[in-house]
Amino acid sequence: MAMTLQTTRRPAAARPRRQQILPDRLLPYGMIGPAVFVAFAIAIIPLCYALWLSLQDWYMLRRPTPVWGGLVNYRTLLSDTALWASFGRTWIWTIGTVVVEVALALPIALLLNRESAVARTASAVILLPWVTPFIVLGFGWRFLLDSGVGPIHALLHVLGLAGDSSILNDPVGAFAMIIFISGWKGTPFLVIAILAALKSIPDELYEAAEVDGAGPVQRFVHVTLPEIWNTIVTVGLVLGILAFYSFDLPWIMTKGGPQDATTLVGIAMYKAVFLDLRPAYAAAISVVMLVLLFIASLITLRLRRRH
Amino acid sequence: MRHRSPTRELALDATTIVVIFLLLVPILWVFVASVRPETDITGGGLIPTRFTFEHYAAILAKKPFLIALKNSLIVGIAVAVVTTALAMPAAYALSRFAFGGRNFFALLILGTQMLPSLAVLVPLVVIIRQIGLTNTLTALIFTHLALGMPIAVWMLKGYIDAIPKELEEAALIDGCGRLGAMWRIVVPLIRPAIIAVGTFAFVLSWGEYLMALALILKSDVKTLPLALQGLFDPYSFSWGQVMAGGTIIALPAILLFLIFRRQLVGGLLAGGVKG
Repeated sequence: MAMTLQTTRRPAAARPRRQQILPDRLLPYGMIGPAVFVAFAIAIIPLCYALWLSLQDWYMLRRPTPVWGGLVNYRTLLSDTALWASFGRTWIWTIGTVVVEVALALPIALLLNRESAVARTASAVILLPWVTPFIVLGFGWRFLLDSGVGPIHALLHVLGLAGDSSILNDPVGAFAMIIFISGWKGTPFLVIAILAALKSIPDELYEAAEVDGAGPVQRFVHVTLPEIWNTIVTVGLVLGILAFYSFDLPWIMTKGGPQDATTLVGIAMYKAVFLDLRPAYAAAISVVMLVLLFIASLITLRLRRRH
Repeated sequence: MRHRSPTRELALDATTIVVIFLLLVPILWVFVASVRPETDITGGGLIPTRFTFEHYAAILAKKPFLIALKNSLIVGIAVAVVTTALAMPAAYALSRFAFGGRNFFALLILGTQMLPSLAVLVPLVVIIRQIGLTNTLTALIFTHLALGMPIAVWMLKGYIDAIPKELEEAALIDGCGRLGAMWRIVVPLIRPAIIAVGTFAFVLSWGEYLMALALILKSDVKTLPLALQGLFDPYSFSWGQVMAGGTIIALPAILLFLIFRRQLVGGLLAGGVKG
């Protein structure tokens, strides 16, 4: 009703005037322009600038402005053993996170792939870890693992996994624990994705398998798994990229410690800018990260099944 | 779905409840601790027996926390409004027009979504420093646009695609311009989706930590995640207050997500999303 009224009340002269300002051929560019500008300003320009910056020699304590340094940062980077250690840690972290995610998400998704009210409610509230900001999860887990007040610390202590002080004070324990937390945070997203894939498997496939005499395990291996495999690989890749670029969780929980045990490349890069004041070196790290990630992504995509 | 016996369904439901409880208990514990007296948190056992809002009262009486609350609201609302205002026309153009470079622009916008903030942190911080915008909410708002805009464009495009073109053609014949047709026909029809993407952008900005940490040092422009960190730093702190602050950050995100879940889940799966 209101819509029709507005349309009729509108002055007829408005239309030709607007067309003169922005002819129809240019209109789509005008409409998409602002969004494209933001994408350029936030992604393309910074990436190009990072590449340029990585070729500068810029140690802020010595000189206030960058000068051309060629490959100086990349040479430093190649001999920076602490940095390569953090790259190694980041791969363990990334693969560990995705393994935890798949290991938790696959059984949960199978459990939720039912029509009951409980399953439907569960597939809504399961999103909580995914939507809760890292800052809250980080402090929440520090609380849970605190040696004085944390109930999960008490549990780990009883199980013999933690001594009198928090597991976060033990280099190996902290790294393993935060990998688990990182996987726990990403699990709901994979559950929802697998659930969507499970729901799209036609019933006829299961019926045919049953006619052929396949048991539940065989049905899972030969029908379910092939149908959801590509979803797992694709979403696993997305989650892997996010894990590779982790910063918030290890920084909030342990600031990269104890003894660099949780210093991922992201943290090393952050420290290079804000503590060592070497932005050009940090830019070189981010370029190397991007290149390594690109190669790893291409390899991962080869795991996809072709239909 | 195939038929199963009721007892089996019941057993599976019971398993589901246990699994979901175990998965969510770390977050529930934060909420529970925020309403327990400090003495109960440190030595009161697992089962909460007494409730209090003293932690909320304590942090809401702290000036830095209130300033951060205000800053987070300003940034979040600005990000939500600008994201929607940019995404709506872009989505409409991608859905309704055939123009040169259309696929390139679509890929560019979606590609931004796949790029984690950490990948552009160093160059962005250097650029923002050089134009003198560190310690401003403007710079923070600008960087936060990247969080939700690509997915907003993608989701809105999906919704516009589903609207029959004939509706707009009728409006064009009635003397509406293209923009008028979008504004009067399309926008009212997809209002729930528009509200959902605005909400989504708000929530992502509300909890964002890395860019705020890198760009904001002065206390009068700090946002909530930084203020929460500030509650933690001194030698003596209260777990109850930190958990209450955490609840204030987490609750809007959780509630808005649950309300708009139906609109958001499809879009999240389509593009992957920054967590």
